[in-house]
Amino acid sequence: MKRADRAAVWFVLPSLFLVALFSIYPICASVRLGFYRTILMLPWLGEKFVGLENYADLATDAVALQSLGVTLLFVGASATMEVLVGAGMALLLNESFRGRGLVRAAVLVPWAIPTVVSSQMWRYIFNDRYGLFNFLVFGRDTSRYIAPLAEPWLARAAIIFADVWKTSSFAALIVLAGLQTIPDELYEAAEVDGAGAWQKLRRITLPLLKPALLLALLFRTIDAFKVFDLVFVMTQGGPADATNVLQFYGYKKIFAEGMIGYGSAIAVGVFLISLALALLYIRLIGARVLEPGAAR
Amino acid sequence: MKPWPALLLLPLLVSPLHAADIRFVTWRDTQGYLEPLIADFEAHNPDLKIVRDVGPHSSTEFHDLLAQKFRNRDREMDVFFMDVIWPAEFASAGWALPLDRFFPREAQKKFLPATIRANTYAGAIYGVPLFVDAGLLYYRKDLLQKYKLSPPRTWPELVEQAKTIVAGEKHAGLTGFSGQFKQYEGLVCNMMEYILSNNGDLWDETRLSGALRFPAAQEAARFVRDRIIGEIAHRGVLAYQEPESLALFSEGRAVFHRNWPYAWAEANDAHKSKIAGQVGMTTLPAFPGGSSAAALGGWQLGISRYSRRPELAWHFVEFMTRAETQRRIALQTGRGMAREAVYRDPEVLEKYPQFRMQLAVSMRAVPRPTTPVYVPLSNIMQRYFSTAISARDSDIDRLARHADREMDRVLDLLRPRAAR
Repeated sequence: MKRADRAAVWFVLPSLFLVALFSIYPICASVRLGFYRTILMLPWLGEKFVGLENYADLATDAVALQSLGVTLLFVGASATMEVLVGAGMALLLNESFRGRGLVRAAVLVPWAIPTVVSSQMWRYIFNDRYGLFNFLVFGRDTSRYIAPLAEPWLARAAIIFADVWKTSSFAALIVLAGLQTIPDELYEAAEVDGAGAWQKLRRITLPLLKPALLLALLFRTIDAFKVFDLVFVMTQGGPADATNVLQFYGYKKIFAEGMIGYGSAIAVGVFLISLALALLYIRLIGARVLEPGAAR
Repeated sequence: MKPWPALLLLPLLVSPLHAADIRFVTWRDTQGYLEPLIADFEAHNPDLKIVRDVGPHSSTEFHDLLAQKFRNRDREMDVFFMDVIWPAEFASAGWALPLDRFFPREAQKKFLPATIRANTYAGAIYGVPLFVDAGLLYYRKDLLQKYKLSPPRTWPELVEQAKTIVAGEKHAGLTGFSGQFKQYEGLVCNMMEYILSNNGDLWDETRLSGALRFPAAQEAARFVRDRIIGEIAHRGVLAYQEPESLALFSEGRAVFHRNWPYAWAEANDAHKSKIAGQVGMTTLPAFPGGSSAAALGGWQLGISRYSRRPELAWHFVEFMTRAETQRRIALQTGRGMAREAVYRDPEVLEKYPQFRMQLAVSMRAVPRPTTPVYVPLSNIMQRYFSTAISARDSDIDRLARHADREMDRVLDLLRPRAAR
């Protein structure tokens, strides 16, 4: 046992090193920066330790709070829809039909396109003069064309839609993996007992799929919290700050305004929220995973 | 010091086998003047190669790209375009190289004074002006003539004329006005023209305090919200920068249009525009009791503090901003140039008679205040303006007070320095 343990340490070490280098170090550095007031454009102010001042400012910053609201809306709407759409796709892909391999590959295409590229595509689609969106809705009557990205609620819907389009297939992958772990015997037994398709779905598939669905939701929620590129390319946070998500706000603070300390505090805030979510989900999933086999 | 002694050292610095690269961060050249100029420069300097690094069109995004390169101390950037509002910030952050040794006072006198002021920070010069922009009003000569109207002198007059013409023309796609109202730097320029022409101000530079809450500024914002957006301009302008708004005008779908001088040549180019020859240009309207105010814009060339070869970079900057180059760009594009002599050049005046009037507008154009914290202030204003004008029921008074408080906090950062 001891030798095996030692070997295990060596196997884990490289990935631990990478995690430390690319996750833990930047997190610690951000936390440290968040306690300082550093403004690039005003070098004479120096790097002043201000304790929790940045966080106190953050708590009363109306823009940050509004931005948190926008982010939560985006996360809630996009993650929910992605898991639902993804589950539907997975159920479909799990059936056997001709050309299934091709469809499975095709479904992954949106996910394989870099977000910056697909965001650019959506920006064109939603353009008010030559966008496909207007053509589909209004046809050739150009006088009725609207600018979805100029309307706060439509712009929000547009970035959510673009995200759902892109990452539903990722959710589908996870759910599909979950589906494939459900043994066929269960369905056979159910059929023997006279269960219909709906009953099989409700009584077997969905309960056994819960861990996979939660896992998909976890990944999508945390990932959605970090949304940046969609907003950067499609709206730059506008119109009227309607799509100013937290990560973009933090980016503006650091890279445009040079407010390193304050921007880092925002980043740390996003990190803490994601961490809390992750812990919550892990507890939920842990409990669910144990449930079926819990034969005390 | 003159540039010449440094240039004599050139052969020593550049080995004949390796052409030295000068990295130039620029925007996409839609008017086609940059390519031939760079080819010319390279033909005269076979040892130098200009490598172009193309950034985004939006000034805001371009700024963020530069800031990111500076933060990374990117040695792969030598020369860059700089918006008129950035020199103070880049100088204060230590990112732009002071150019006094290359660009002495004597040489600076050949440029429009406002452009030199915008490039000067704490007594040193940080950029060489190339383009000068000032907000102008474009209009459809043919339509105004048809309705026997003369170009509007006040904003309310502009609204009335636009309504009359749009109602009279049975052209479903025609709107009254197009400008730049997206949440970006151009929004600040547009809104500042309304506010200043109503005797208002963005902020008070001596008292370091926001001025958006005062009645003049609020009235102007309310006017844009109630009389322009969704009235004479369709709501799409809330997502428009210069190219989109100009395209609408060039398609013959807007009676009036606010833009910089470059729009004149574009709107009159029969290949790109349906209204070539029917374009009129004049100073922007004012509110009754105010006087026309054009925002000063423009682009300069700067050299990065992290450049490995500032002398060679200067060689390129000098070429790009010399009198002959500016004359050439003016002739080709009709854009406003920073050297005063261009406006007196007979050939330029013959091709672009409007340059006489453009000089007058550019001389009087109002620069946005020079401060190292311009970007945070601008972000606050962009947010305020965008929120104030996008929704009919926006509470402008509350929003303006809030924006002022936020500006005050940023401006407070400058106080310790002032006290010292």
